[in-house]
Amino acid sequence: MKRFTCSGCSLLCDDIIVQSDGIFISEVVGACLKGKERFDQVSAKNRITSPLIRKDGELIEVSWDEAMNSVVEIIKKANKPLLYGFSNVTCEAQEAGIKLAREINGFIDSNASICQGKFLNKAKSLGINFTTITEVINKGDLIILWGANPAETIPRLLNKLLFSRGKFRMTGREIKTLVIIDPVKTASFGVMGVRDLALMVEPNKDIELIRMLKEECCSADSIPSEGVAGIDQSDLKRLLLHLTGAENGVIIVGQGVIQPHSDYDLVEELLDLLQLINERQEKGRISLILLGGHFNMAGFDHVALSAYGVSGHLEFGGNQLIKTKDGIVSKIEKNDFDCSIIVGTDPISHLPHVLSSKIARKPLILIDNHKTATSQIAEVVLPTTITGIESGGLAYRLDQVPIELNKIIDPPNNLPSDEELLNQLYGLLNQGRSE
Amino acid sequence: MEFILNSIRRIDNDQVKEHAFGTEESLEEKLAICFINPKDFEKLNLVSSLHLKISNKERQVIVKVKKDDDVPNGMVLMPVSIWSNRLSVIQNNEILYKNIVVDVEATREPIMKFKEIIQEFLVKN
Amino acid sequence: MAFSLDLLQGKVKVDDCPPLLEPKYKKQYDTLKEILGSEEGQQKELKINIDEDLCDGCGICVTVCPVNARYCPSSLSGKAPEYPPEEHQLFQVVGGKCELLKIEHCRRLEAGGRERECRVCETYCPREAVKIEYV
Repeated sequence: MKRFTCSGCSLLCDDIIVQSDGIFISEVVGACLKGKERFDQVSAKNRITSPLIRKDGELIEVSWDEAMNSVVEIIKKANKPLLYGFSNVTCEAQEAGIKLAREINGFIDSNASICQGKFLNKAKSLGINFTTITEVINKGDLIILWGANPAETIPRLLNKLLFSRGKFRMTGREIKTLVIIDPVKTASFGVMGVRDLALMVEPNKDIELIRMLKEECCSADSIPSEGVAGIDQSDLKRLLLHLTGAENGVIIVGQGVIQPHSDYDLVEELLDLLQLINERQEKGRISLILLGGHFNMAGFDHVALSAYGVSGHLEFGGNQLIKTKDGIVSKIEKNDFDCSIIVGTDPISHLPHVLSSKIARKPLILIDNHKTATSQIAEVVLPTTITGIESGGLAYRLDQVPIELNKIIDPPNNLPSDEELLNQLYGLLNQGRSE
Repeated sequence: MEFILNSIRRIDNDQVKEHAFGTEESLEEKLAICFINPKDFEKLNLVSSLHLKISNKERQVIVKVKKDDDVPNGMVLMPVSIWSNRLSVIQNNEILYKNIVVDVEATREPIMKFKEIIQEFLVKN
Repeated sequence: MAFSLDLLQGKVKVDDCPPLLEPKYKKQYDTLKEILGSEEGQQKELKINIDEDLCDGCGICVTVCPVNARYCPSSLSGKAPEYPPEEHQLFQVVGGKCELLKIEHCRRLEAGGRERECRVCETYCPREAVKIEYV
């Protein structure tokens, strides 16, 4: 049977068997619970299938023409539009979003900048080693989860990385060592075996661990007998042994590592440590895999880089790219915008209240396909297809590998895809400008 | 009492799932909740009928409490949600989602409803 | 070891072991009789239960099961096995949850020697949703 790619999370499993007649999906085989919920979104109770405009405080259904006109009006009145989201859409839609931002002289950024984009930023000066999932499946021997809990966020990740045997070996779980570094005993600890290492580091003390490892790497026997950051001496020695002895090690980093600190930069120090270990390693190397939730979190930076040579956010003025020091957080905090276009994400729920309240005070246009907290605030809601099921396109997996998504069934009400909608908006505004 | 707040992800407490498939009641049931160690539960004089008020300098939130053996002492865990994000802060132009210093106390007050939080947003200047 | 497994599964009785009937092992004989009680000799069936509420479809059981590994080559790289399932396949993930297809080819029933003590599906499930029972 033909296999399809699931767009439930950034793992983009491409081995999913879907039984469908082109109109309904009857069976999904191989996808985990998160993937199944993604396929269920097609018939979700709170799905939005017609455009909505807020009139007298309530969202009511309107025609596409009225909705698009309303959006064009809001954007025309604005001088500094803010575009945010773009992690739940294809690369083609991300490209269309950047094209739109340039047309309306806006500031565009994706969810990645408050998540894994921080690693790419630092990587510009320090360098970064990535690896692919297939490499880890076939050759990996050390897997470290640092501040990451894939058992709850990306259920099949540990299945693929830790338990698979791969092409070249007879055994799987037995020859891979798992190390988990986390202050909380999460569900991921459930797959630990006798030879694995569980390091319950004290909260906010990861920096001491990294600095101690760096020191020990350079001059042996510098680990204090009482241990560091809540981890005892023998465990630290074992950790360093694994790090320097692994032939193909990978560190999977999650939210725990990318938190800001006032006196130091944890991301920078971790990248530094990895560079040090890789330089001293004679037969192997340690690479990184960055975890992220939305299925195309890695894509925006690739698209921005190939279109404009800039990764991360872009700001346009006079229809040209302009240099800016601001990121999405400072832009919103300073109130340096007068309307926002939110695409495929729910900032009212996931941003801190101090920022989401500022977005809520200005006109908000939402492009999404089901009810969220943001839809309860929006002035206009434009629904689109569910990517990976009702429309296709390119997406980047969490290990930076591009994967093609397919269309399996037709969308309801002839809904446009995100790419089509953003291009339509661009057309309307560009036409307005040249008149 | 001073605690550390950590926002976490749990597959059963997922706000995207509740928004897409659930109701406001199911959203509140799954996400207006926090987890603490049983010893801390006793230290705070909590019982199942009381709620927990978690606050920092700027804001507060009132949620249900559940005991969880895997939570370290002095820490309170909340699933990522519009409730937990009332307490996330900005530091050096970046967002702090983990290890936020908060104050917790037991309270009889009702949990904060989803409608209340949205109402606050809708009141524009 | 095989005798004790058969004893627990009710296929044999304590009296079927000649050394146990000797006087010097009377204490062990009595203890075994007490532990087994009225369930001695009652044939028990192997059941592998998957708790639907705990399962999150991670597919670890599908990948580690040695029967799946032998007959479904795609599971060696962590990929989902073919559908419709192969005749010997034990586990598969359908609708986001793991399902036990048929138990007849489980190592605990079909294999000999140490392979009969296979418990990998139960051991490696991170959410402890898989439980092996004899009823």
